[in-house]
Amino acid sequence: MATQIVMDHNGDTRHNFDANDAKALLKAERRFMALTGAGFTAATRTADGDPVVTRTFDPTAEETLFFPRLVGG
Amino acid sequence: MAEQLLHIVANRLRRFRTGLVRRARAFHDWFWHGNDSEGRGLKLLREWLSPQQLAQYDANKYFDVTGCESRKRYRICHGTSMNIHEIDGAGRPRTGWCFVPNSNLVAGDVMLAQKIALETDECGALAVAKQFESTDRLS
Repeated sequence: MATQIVMDHNGDTRHNFDANDAKALLKAERRFMALTGAGFTAATRTADGDPVVTRTFDPTAEETLFFPRLVGG
Repeated sequence: MAEQLLHIVANRLRRFRTGLVRRARAFHDWFWHGNDSEGRGLKLLREWLSPQQLAQYDANKYFDVTGCESRKRYRICHGTSMNIHEIDGAGRPRTGWCFVPNSNLVAGDVMLAQKIALETDECGALAVAKQFESTDRLS
């Protein structure tokens, strides 16, 4: 089961989907496009745990984290 | 008669004190464990910190990250703004940097976004950040 984690005012919202299900995968890809299009940054982790920013949807990613655009505080 | 009255007053005081303790405990539990958003944010942060960063955060409520481009070290303190300090080799703060997600997020989420930004796109993060004077309190 793969997960897309979206940071929000509730802490985060998690969308779990079966990466082997074509319909679920398409929905996950659309969510990816919608979020990154809205300014969210998508990040995954390497096997060592290091974060990596990803600009394109990776259907093999087990976990993708989305955080909103950064601005000066 | 007086003894009976004292007994009643003592009983009521005891009940009042028990009620106060119960309310204080409930408030404590709500404050520290019942705030789900804060808890979720911290849980997510803890999942993404490296073992060293997690140990540092547990001990000090801050953790250090290395900028991916300059290799400078930054200390991210628990908080939601003005919580990033560029530090020198001795751990002394040099400059404060402030950048945050553009929506209202809990502390754990903010710190995680800051960590990922510095570790993957340091220049991009600092380009939007505002600088502030850092203090010696961290050293």
